Amino acid sequence: MKNNIGYYFLIPSILLLAFTSIYPLFFSLVNSFYNWNWGEQRDFVGFENYVFLLTNEEFWIVIRNTFLFASLACIFEVSLGIILALYIDRIKVGSTLIRTILLIPLMVSGIIVSMMSKVIFNNLFGVIPFYMKKIGLKSSFFGSPDAAMPTLIGVDVWWQTAFVFIIILAGLQSIPQEPIESARIEGATEWQITRFIRLPMIRSLVLLVIIFRSIDTLKIFDLVWGITGGGPGISTEVVQTYSYRLAFGFLQMSKSMTVMILFSSVVICLTFIYSVIEKRNND
Amino acid sequence: MIKYHSLKHYIPAYFVSFLAIIITALPIIWIFLISIKSKNDSFTRPPKFFFEPIIDNYIKTINNEFFRETFFNSLLITFFGIILSIVIAIFAAYALKRYNIRFKKTFMLWLLVAYMLPEFLFVLPMYSIYQTMGLYDTHFGLALMYQVHVLPFSIWMLRSFLEEIPKEIDDAALIDGCSPFQTIYKIYFPLILPGIVATAILNGIWMWNELAIAIGLTFSEAHPITLGVAQFRGYASKDWGGMTASSILALIPMIFFVVIAQKHIVKGLTLGSLKG
Repeated sequence: MKNNIGYYFLIPSILLLAFTSIYPLFFSLVNSFYNWNWGEQRDFVGFENYVFLLTNEEFWIVIRNTFLFASLACIFEVSLGIILALYIDRIKVGSTLIRTILLIPLMVSGIIVSMMSKVIFNNLFGVIPFYMKKIGLKSSFFGSPDAAMPTLIGVDVWWQTAFVFIIILAGLQSIPQEPIESARIEGATEWQITRFIRLPMIRSLVLLVIIFRSIDTLKIFDLVWGITGGGPGISTEVVQTYSYRLAFGFLQMSKSMTVMILFSSVVICLTFIYSVIEKRNND
Repeated sequence: MIKYHSLKHYIPAYFVSFLAIIITALPIIWIFLISIKSKNDSFTRPPKFFFEPIIDNYIKTINNEFFRETFFNSLLITFFGIILSIVIAIFAAYALKRYNIRFKKTFMLWLLVAYMLPEFLFVLPMYSIYQTMGLYDTHFGLALMYQVHVLPFSIWMLRSFLEEIPKEIDDAALIDGCSPFQTIYKIYFPLILPGIVATAILNGIWMWNELAIAIGLTFSEAHPITLGVAQFRGYASKDWGGMTASSILALIPMIFFVVIAQKHIVKGLTLGSLKG
């Protein structure tokens, strides 16, 4: 069509997205080269903020925490989700009900999950520590620096595994049945069919889910803010809560924005990888 | 053709589902039980399974003025956010389907990047510009900021619903003298209405649950429900009644929506690229 009306229809979206995505990126990028803390003072400092962060021990602990959380949460969520999907794919009676129930955690906000975790894992009166003590297990969860991170990961696994499950299940249900049937006739075991037919067929979907979950877990904020606040010490501090604390705790606006610029570049790189895989997937 | 398998095939599957359902549901059920316990019953050791249920915690939470305010704030924010995203996205989705847009690929990539950007990136820049624009701590300001996430999502979703409609319908409308505007609201809008409802629900769930941006861009007037729930938490919070009852109250609309939008959630989670 010669008509330009298609472009006019895109203008509102472009304006809105420019305001809400390009502007913040640009503003943060510019201010990451300044020394600005809401006040009158705003001097150009070059790469000082970057140098400060990259040579700061606390920053690297935060980075380590974030990647530890993201990688472990991702590994557990993806493997559990795939296992669940492979089993539930077999079910023909009642699968809608099962799916609906398993979807519920995904629709619960992070802050509610935080509240629930605080009550359930409460060291004195929580139901899980009580029964763990009863069978003689050490039971410190959010209170100890060693246990807080694994517990957070466990909570995230409860919260987000359904995401992997539901997508992989849809993928499994959309693969053609003929190769599976003929393999079955030739006497392949269910495990062989899964290993050599089902999993290879959904490989790129699994890759997409992994990248999606990586981005999402790297961005974790609600759970940490709501449950541990980054503590004990800084043992569960992650990038987004660190940036929050720099800004609203210490009024280090420029440093906080520098953190987000560094972090956003990682997220944008992952997004590019995602889009390349998705494109190959659709072609 | 449905192939029937032996019991050996089904039993592990049902066993795994049963286990998954228990692990999913137990924490929520437990929180619900605490929300109907009296203070004395909720702090017993061992935990009590049988007790006299009360609704005092709910009455207390509903009578909590801050909680009630945040509940209505979130309704308003979600409402603004949905209207804004659907109205703008439907034109974009139509343009992407109907016209040859030269920078289509770049635009789609931009949508993806905007959707994925970390929440805290927006907070300080928007805090600063919202102060001067008078949008700070307003419902509309928050709904506007949420567009960075819900607008790309809505465009993907509506586009994938539009793709299912044959192009001939559009040509026929054009021949009958419909303008593009009329084509959208007279022909496409009714046809993809179920898709619009599903998209609106999924957008609503996201905005209802959002916390990080809301912390940064609200102060006292426009706090959303996530902060209304968060008020009951303290480092050594002993107000389990408030924590659990407010959680359940904030959760109920979501469960309701999951059931309605169940069919479209798969499409939503894969950003419109996979059907449920």
